[in-house]
Amino acid sequence: MPDFLYSFALQENLTAGDSCLVFIQLNGGNDGLNTFIPFQDDLYYHYRPNIAISKNDVISAGQGMAFHPMLKGLAEIQQKGHLTVLQNVGYPEPNRSHFRSAEIWQTASNATQYLSEGWLGRFLDVQCKDHEPTAGINLDTIDSLALKGKEPNALTIKDPSKMISKGSAAGVKLSGNPQLDFVRKIANSATEGSDLISKAIQKSPAAPASYPKSGLSRNLEWIAKLIKGGLNSKTYYTSLNGFDSHENQLSMQKNRFTDLSDAIYAFYNDMVAAKKLDEVTLVIFSEFGRRVKDNGSGTDHGTAAPMFIIGGGNKGKIIGKNPNLANLDNGDLIHETDFRSVYAALLKDKFSFDPKQIGISNTALQGIFK
Amino acid sequence: MERNTLWSLRLGFSGKQAELIKKEGIADFLKDSFSDKVDKQLPGFLKDSPKTLAEIQAYKQGYKDITDGRKKENAQFLTTSYNLRGWWVDKMRENKYPLREKLVVFWHNHYVSAISKYRVPYWAYTHNMVLRENAFGNIKDLTKKILRTNAMVYYLDNNKNRNGRFNENLSRELLELFTLGVGNYTEQDIKNGARGLAGLFTADNGAAYNPKMENTDPFTYFGKTGNFKSDEMVDIIFSQKKAPYFITRKLLKWFIYDNPPEALVTYYGDYLREMDYEMQPFLTKLFTEEFSKDTAGSKIKDPLVYMLQLLDELTITNQNSKLIAAFVSNQGMDLFNQPNVKGWDGGNSWLTAQLYLKRNTTADNLCKGRNVAKINLTNLGDPGTDYNAEFDVKPEWKKAGDNKAVIAQLRDRLLCSADEQLQKDFENILKHDFDAGSKSADMAVLALVNYMVKTPEFQLI
Repeated sequence: MPDFLYSFALQENLTAGDSCLVFIQLNGGNDGLNTFIPFQDDLYYHYRPNIAISKNDVISAGQGMAFHPMLKGLAEIQQKGHLTVLQNVGYPEPNRSHFRSAEIWQTASNATQYLSEGWLGRFLDVQCKDHEPTAGINLDTIDSLALKGKEPNALTIKDPSKMISKGSAAGVKLSGNPQLDFVRKIANSATEGSDLISKAIQKSPAAPASYPKSGLSRNLEWIAKLIKGGLNSKTYYTSLNGFDSHENQLSMQKNRFTDLSDAIYAFYNDMVAAKKLDEVTLVIFSEFGRRVKDNGSGTDHGTAAPMFIIGGGNKGKIIGKNPNLANLDNGDLIHETDFRSVYAALLKDKFSFDPKQIGISNTALQGIFK
Repeated sequence: MERNTLWSLRLGFSGKQAELIKKEGIADFLKDSFSDKVDKQLPGFLKDSPKTLAEIQAYKQGYKDITDGRKKENAQFLTTSYNLRGWWVDKMRENKYPLREKLVVFWHNHYVSAISKYRVPYWAYTHNMVLRENAFGNIKDLTKKILRTNAMVYYLDNNKNRNGRFNENLSRELLELFTLGVGNYTEQDIKNGARGLAGLFTADNGAAYNPKMENTDPFTYFGKTGNFKSDEMVDIIFSQKKAPYFITRKLLKWFIYDNPPEALVTYYGDYLREMDYEMQPFLTKLFTEEFSKDTAGSKIKDPLVYMLQLLDELTITNQNSKLIAAFVSNQGMDLFNQPNVKGWDGGNSWLTAQLYLKRNTTADNLCKGRNVAKINLTNLGDPGTDYNAEFDVKPEWKKAGDNKAVIAQLRDRLLCSADEQLQKDFENILKHDFDAGSKSADMAVLALVNYMVKTPEFQLI
């Protein structure tokens, strides 16, 4: 194909059994300590006189940790052995700015490094032979940096039902103006990707039960449809807002966790019924945790926090030590696991992909998958 | 693209000011824009809206005491919020010199405070008026005054920031998002800054320090020690050498470049600091120097410019401004209600496959003279008396010359550039035997305009 002209190839219908990663990014910096709770640690209650969750309210206890009462869905999945908790995940020189820290997670950079492409974008750049506009799907109103690559191998869709199929692929010519090139690619993705998505939606079998009525639930329901319909994207991404709990944390987390838990549980049951749980790895994370000591009604920006993994044939363990509240860094948790070692494990185990190809040199975290 | 049209779009919201810029020249156009008066009249729909803390309390209590109170309060809030949005969009469409409003939208997206959190429409109005009255003034003054708006203080939780129990949110965003930007302050500055802002609470005539809740001990802020309050803190912040660049970069992004070269950020930023943060000399230098460059196509149109330009090009003057506000909200630009304190990202984030499709579908409908259904307006709490289901669409064009001349006329007004392929497409729509005087000429030109406004080249200025 000549340098100045490329076409979007129609994706081949790949064989069943291809893995995919599904990410839920919790925006705002979710407080890990009130999510997966060290309820047997006196220091937790000492530092959080105003917002600690009572021992009597936590659920699904094990290894001295338990879930927030509103995370019933996650607790159930854990009981079934399909949820892995990765404790104290973060990175060196933690950044407490929402946007910078989210950027670090999405580009898998060092704290002082600035990369313009997302880690999944770079992965798809290598992994996709021709340009596959639906290799990555972002269910959101705005693009995610995580999926941003040099080539347009990912689409952002707010509502897949509204994508109108308008004919076949057309060549996109590159001009000398990068902004114009960007818009041209969008314009093309708007038509090209919608064919494949419409097809997948039509083919998709119904879910075993109806999903709850929330934004996240809708997004996960679409992701499930596209997975069941054979779109064969390698990664799906979505987000949930509202975790920046400077104040009123108790009521905020109660509200957010109900949405989060119900949506995830519906998705999980859908995947189980479709016999796709082992192919689909759901990853839940946030750009940072919160300070250990509360500020009266909430918490300020912090550092390390847990990550959760559901499906993908995971072992259902709790990996990493319980949060060490006796040894803090100026009031903040010290990370034990670098998030990039988690990314490395996902890429190696699910795609047999060497993470060094995209600049991730961390050793893959062991013990997550069977 | 024709230069005066390009700058009419950049300094306003449509091609309407192209003739004016051509006539006056860019320097005088700016002078006239700066001296354009601000309308300080309180809009009628806010007459009975609660303003003081007691009135707000009484208002809320009033809804608690009636059946379906919550639902009714939400409905009233929606109606008033959309009256506010419509009022603002009217200004953008009607002002002869829209540069002030263009700058108000910029500052509105810089000093973000979302109405869905504080829920007092009058506070949104006063915040907006501070931006309007100080848009062409001094940035330090603007910052000081914004910190004294109830909207800002409430939005960033400063009502929870009191002596002995500090809340860092406003202090952090003041440095990270409103002034210096990440990397130019320390976590200690944020912690100490929270002391200086402690006790600054919402009050009847804008935010004020509560003497019982404010900090009384001196603290160190960027190397200076004292018992500083918000005004002094702003002065200290802007005395930092790195102060101009964060805001300069954002201004360059808002007006001209999605990706401004760092050399220009430094160049104009140094000048901003030299001018002690006065906007008028800065904007004059920026616009007169950039005006002479060939930069068309360096920036993706935000939803406001997209819609207002489209309506102007099709000579649709009777669209309800609230429907325009609803459109831009759907496109990710909800006025008064950004999704988070960083504001709308702008640039490439204005376009995704979904949003691009929506723009094109809307363009198709408008070119056919079709408005959205009336229920879209009544759902905003508006009775729908000022609604037209259909428009009389008339694209403006000079009836002279052959097909190539007419194409050139429209192309230079609508598109940042056009390559060979596009030109071929245009000549397929207005063929070589096009007759400007014939009865079907208007329809053919409309078809051409419809095609042009759906090209990627139309999305850029």
